[in-house]
Amino acid sequence: MRKPTLALLLAALLPASLAGQARYSLAVGAMGGTKLLTDQIFEDIKVTQVLAPTVTLGANFPVSKRERAGFEVSFANWKSRVVETGEPTIEGPAYRTLSVTFGVDGPLFSRLTYHGGAGLLKYFPDKQGIFLTGGPLLLVLTGGVDYHFPLRAPFGLFARARYDYHRFSTDELQSAGFARTQDVHRVGLGLGIEYQRP
Amino acid sequence: MNRPTLFAAVGATAIIGAIACSDLLPPSRVVSYDWRLIVPFDSGGQSYADTLSFHWPRSSIPVKIWVEDSFNLPDRIREGIAIWKPIFIYGEWDAVLVSDSTKADVIVRGIQPPPIGFARGSRVHAMARSCFGATDVDTGATRFQLLIPIHSYVYPSLPNAPDILQCMQIVAAHELGHSLGILEESPDSLDLMFSNPTVTLPSANDTAAAINAYHYPANMIPVWR
Repeated sequence: MRKPTLALLLAALLPASLAGQARYSLAVGAMGGTKLLTDQIFEDIKVTQVLAPTVTLGANFPVSKRERAGFEVSFANWKSRVVETGEPTIEGPAYRTLSVTFGVDGPLFSRLTYHGGAGLLKYFPDKQGIFLTGGPLLLVLTGGVDYHFPLRAPFGLFARARYDYHRFSTDELQSAGFARTQDVHRVGLGLGIEYQRP
Repeated sequence: MNRPTLFAAVGATAIIGAIACSDLLPPSRVVSYDWRLIVPFDSGGQSYADTLSFHWPRSSIPVKIWVEDSFNLPDRIREGIAIWKPIFIYGEWDAVLVSDSTKADVIVRGIQPPPIGFARGSRVHAMARSCFGATDVDTGATRFQLLIPIHSYVYPSLPNAPDILQCMQIVAAHELGHSLGILEESPDSLDLMFSNPTVTLPSANDTAAAINAYHYPANMIPVWR
């Protein structure tokens, strides 16, 4: 992928004084999301997402006195459900998502920092149902906050809330005649550890 | 938060809010032919008709199909499964070939269909140029049962015809369409479920019929004999 390579290249080109203050983070958590689609064939049909465990790796670097820029790579393991009125709910395809986002972090209040960014999100599904021909690569927008608990330098803990947004569709849905795209909003909570190079 | 940051945050939220108003729009699935089985019956001297619908229950998916190993029929049925399966985007129907006919939900044979040996139901035919197919829908004693296994027949009437391979592919897919729940023929010659089929893939009508069959309440239940 070109964008991560570019970010790493930019990071490498940062002045040594800034690169020296690089902050790395690892977070685990859970994420939930809104429905993937709705349909109606006699009855209403909904494909929903089940709460997914997530792992996120991040790195950022100071770009001003207050802001830091960097990237986050987030992996989540999802299951879906097909809910049809009057029918038993069944398991839909399982899938994993990998997002790579680039963004900015900055202070809000006290130990609270904000995060905003954009990047790409890839679905890696079981090839069945709406994912029979594979998963899409989508643009994702993300935002959130981190609350930092300093430990003994250079380590710290943080609690994280993240929101992201993308527009969902698959080749399978398009060939089945679905038009437009589905807004998908996802919210995640996590706990993590960070390390800042002195 | 400093002022530029605040503006950036508000701006990003506004952009997300502005574009976040879209839902996938499902296709219209207008069915031009009735997939349900119309079975006439007499009661007290009066003539009536039952309109019977069927789809395999979720617990029976994937449907188990035993195929006689003649005329490369297993390959033809596999191709038929590959044609029908993508239509069911919610996983409503799938099928696998099994080697034990006693555990099969559907039995496909490469012979001419024997004389009808059941009292109620229907035999639906497909007559292509150089091959022939039939599927027996035995509705059992109560009229609201579908006796399992379903028996289908696909065989070449002109084995040396130049188009025999395509003919067998078409008829195998057609009979598979019956065994999955399309219990009547289409009146449109451009549909795979037409009684003299010539097209190789399910049309929009066939697709709509199959999908509707799986979301319309079934009043015929599968009963294993």
